[in-house]
Amino acid sequence: MEQVGRKKKSFGKIVLFSILIIMAIVQIFPLVWLLDFSFASSNEMFTSGLLIIPEKIKWENYVKAFVDGHFLLYLKNSLLINSLAVFFVVVISIMTAFACRRMKWKLSGTVNTILLLGMMIPIHATLLPNYKIYNAIGLTDTIWALLIPYIAFSLPVGLFLMSSFMESIPIEIEEAAVIDGCGIYRIVFTMITPLLKSSIATVAIMTFLNNWNEFMMASVYLSTPKWKTLPFSVLEFTGQYSSNYAVQFAVMALTAAPAVIVYVLLNKHITKGVAMGAVKG
Amino acid sequence: MKKKLLASLLVVAMTASMFAGCSSENKKEVTEEATEDVATEEVVAEEAATEEGVSTEPVTLKVFSNLPDRKNGQGLVEQLIIDEYMAENQNVTIEVEALDEEAYKTKFKAYAMDGMPDVVSIWGQPSFLNEVLDAGILTQLNEEDYADYGFIPGSLDGFKKDGKLYGLPRNTDVMAFFYNEKLFKDNGWELPKTYEELLALAPVITDAGFVPVAMDGGDGWPMAIYLTDLMIRINGNSKDIISNAVATGDFSDPVFTKATDLLVQTADANLFQTGYDTQDYGTAMNLFTNGQAAMFYMGAWESSMALNKDIPEEVRTNIRAFTMPALADGVGKQTDIAAWNGGGYAVSEASEVKEEAIKFLNYMYQPDKLSKYGWENGVGMSAQDQSPYMTGNETELQNVFTDIVNTATSVSGTPLNDCGLSSFKAVIESEIQSVSNGTETTEEFLSALEASCK
Amino acid sequence: MKKLYSNKLIIFSLVLPGILVFIFAILAPICLSTYYGFTDYSGMGKATFVGMENYKTLISDEGFWMSMKNSLLLAVGFIVIQHPLAIMVAAILDKLQGKAEGFFRCVYFIPNVISVAIIAYLWKFIYNPDFGLFNNFLKALGFEGKINWLGAEFAIWSVLIVLIWHGFGWGMLIYYTGIKNIDPVLYEAASIDGANASVTFFRITLPLMKPVIQVNITMAIISALKQMETVYLLTNGGPGNRTQFAANYLYQQAFKAFKYGYGNAIGVIFIIICLVVTIFLNRAFQTKEI
Repeated sequence: MEQVGRKKKSFGKIVLFSILIIMAIVQIFPLVWLLDFSFASSNEMFTSGLLIIPEKIKWENYVKAFVDGHFLLYLKNSLLINSLAVFFVVVISIMTAFACRRMKWKLSGTVNTILLLGMMIPIHATLLPNYKIYNAIGLTDTIWALLIPYIAFSLPVGLFLMSSFMESIPIEIEEAAVIDGCGIYRIVFTMITPLLKSSIATVAIMTFLNNWNEFMMASVYLSTPKWKTLPFSVLEFTGQYSSNYAVQFAVMALTAAPAVIVYVLLNKHITKGVAMGAVKG
Repeated sequence: MKKKLLASLLVVAMTASMFAGCSSENKKEVTEEATEDVATEEVVAEEAATEEGVSTEPVTLKVFSNLPDRKNGQGLVEQLIIDEYMAENQNVTIEVEALDEEAYKTKFKAYAMDGMPDVVSIWGQPSFLNEVLDAGILTQLNEEDYADYGFIPGSLDGFKKDGKLYGLPRNTDVMAFFYNEKLFKDNGWELPKTYEELLALAPVITDAGFVPVAMDGGDGWPMAIYLTDLMIRINGNSKDIISNAVATGDFSDPVFTKATDLLVQTADANLFQTGYDTQDYGTAMNLFTNGQAAMFYMGAWESSMALNKDIPEEVRTNIRAFTMPALADGVGKQTDIAAWNGGGYAVSEASEVKEEAIKFLNYMYQPDKLSKYGWENGVGMSAQDQSPYMTGNETELQNVFTDIVNTATSVSGTPLNDCGLSSFKAVIESEIQSVSNGTETTEEFLSALEASCK
Repeated sequence: MKKLYSNKLIIFSLVLPGILVFIFAILAPICLSTYYGFTDYSGMGKATFVGMENYKTLISDEGFWMSMKNSLLLAVGFIVIQHPLAIMVAAILDKLQGKAEGFFRCVYFIPNVISVAIIAYLWKFIYNPDFGLFNNFLKALGFEGKINWLGAEFAIWSVLIVLIWHGFGWGMLIYYTGIKNIDPVLYEAASIDGANASVTFFRITLPLMKPVIQVNITMAIISALKQMETVYLLTNGGPGNRTQFAANYLYQQAFKAFKYGYGNAIGVIFIIICLVVTIFLNRAFQTKEI
């Protein structure tokens, strides 16, 4: 009887695994497709077949993308702005989540809700008003023109994630710290923060990815190339009358590369739950 | 609490303006194609080889372009002229901001609020210009200054309001059927001399395994121009009928119904590729450049296809064009072409360097600049007389279009979709997809148009 | 401890940055936007006050209602199709452990890392009537295979498929982090009590995930309304208005049709709907808890 049970179990496992693998293929397909066509020439793209073996591997596509797409400058800007945005979102959301969830004051719930409302705002409705405001203060064409809205729009979700993970941290840790004479700031940054590692990783990923490919605000708030971000190189390659799709794909692949790398690196940290670290510590 | 809030806001604002100050000093690094060292701005330029009254103080001109590709086609032409101007006027630095059309229009609105660049790209059509001129964004130009610039008669009309000139046209756009001559010859197909013959070709071409006409139906405007083309074939020149209809919101004139019905009939006859109504410009064009489609309905600006090395040679060297054939019982002839002057340039009213900006504008339009370079780079035809620049090395395609324009018996002017407000444009470009593929009746289509004009 | 935790100055300093950013980058523009919603501002020139005109027009605007209907369809699709799948996969991955878990978790999210533009291009390709994957597949099975996937009859379903597929990664990620937060001690206790996988899932995992589920569903509805880039690139709301979604429609009206005031009115309605939905879901989830 046991033998049969075990066979059923492993058969089930095989089926499960096959499904998971098929899903994995479907999910990774877009990336493969992108790479495949980025090495082809434009004309081969609209023939039949989902994936093609290009007649000639056109490395020129990438050279064009790199040079004409001002890759290095835009990459530097994108990295700078996005890293700063992630940093600020993480720090601000931890501070705010702690204040709203742990500290005792009347307005804590209200403030929390209001800040979370930021999730409901359609970004396009704020494009022109924000432009007007930034222009009036002289922020257009500066790093702040992108940094502030990027932080503002990623904050609600970051706040939410931090709040809910903070809930599962036992209050005992803080009680012990207070008895030891610790101030709030020390508690927040030296004790609570390390326990939030997995949510920090999640918030970092979400913020980074939300803003890495963003181009609407970038094109309206920036004018000169000084702070232009990677999506601009994609934008600059698509003209209404431009038909070199393969180079566009190369540009998009170059743009996607850093995001994929960041994701793979951060991905490892979404492993342990908060509770494990807290209780044992 | 409130005081603290105010104080913090002030701090933010002050920090922000500090940064704003920093970044403007760094703008010198920013000019994409600037060949000058900024130091020369301070040096009084002696060899400024330009006209009278030239100021030798450093001047920065901001140019806002809708051509992001600065290495090919029209964008290249623009950039060449900008570089030349800066070389000849050492005290002038030209900063170019180029965005593709959609992003351009959005940014244009932002700039309209504040900070409009000095020289901007515009479209001389009511759907764009009406609201822009109402808001007083462009500066008036002196029409007499341009008497010797060789502008084709009538090309300035779309850029005027109440008789005053606000911009200059750059291109003469002609809509035609590009066709693959080799494909026709190899398969023994005859060039259609009437519209009926064109429709009759559809099943023949399809049976041979090709697409008859590649149509960009995903964007509504090519079909709207097609509709205008048909109206001209049915009725002859329709400029007044169109402007009246749009102004009064009354599309009851029979020509509208007939033309729409004919369009529906055409789509039903499978003249266009399957799925044309959602396929975009690039996809449709690729069908043609890949040799899968026999024809492609598009504008003369694509005549640079003949020079595009990415297109296989056997297609590229065999591209020719013909305009909409006449209807057997229609009034319009094949030489009553769908042509208009769309893209152009203007100077902003808010510009602080208006004189220099207008000077640059005029420089661009010197007959041996935009027109000559445009012709040499195969970007279609300009709004100015280009005959002095025929090099004899033109592609066949360029010659074909020159002929079409030279032998035209009438010119349509702005096509239907751009004749009204932009809300009208948005509606017709979306509704025309539905009516052509049969999900909407002609009556419903026309009532939607009427409603949007009110 | 209570004294320390109610120290007004410290509380203020903690929340100030968040509030500042919010006021500056979200509240202020939304107030301006609401103001514009009461005008006939075209995006340039003057803005004349027109009161409730825009809202009256909205009521009879077919495109608007279509976009609302489509967003609703999408929200339902998210909640009924995407989320259960995401939770199950998250739970399965959690159980897998080891390298397999890391691998799948990484790969499943990849479509969300690359730009939406690529996704849109890919699907347009797949849906192409002449050489797209779907029609080729149909042809292989012996059918004629000339379905126009993005044409009038099928467009909305084709778009829904893309959107539901695309959102899977995010949903899975959030549920996954939620599951990871469940104290493994509880699982140990359950298995000691003899519970098998599915009992554990339904009796322990799901209830503990309630807050995460609630927020994810709220976000699903909001995101169904917010869909813009993908739709814009795939069909731009067409043919006609068949695949129109709220945020895309807002963009079209505000920026293409020079009806900026009108577009903003749509934005205001958008926010109101989100608010109502959030409050409603809040109540719904609260009553279930004992």
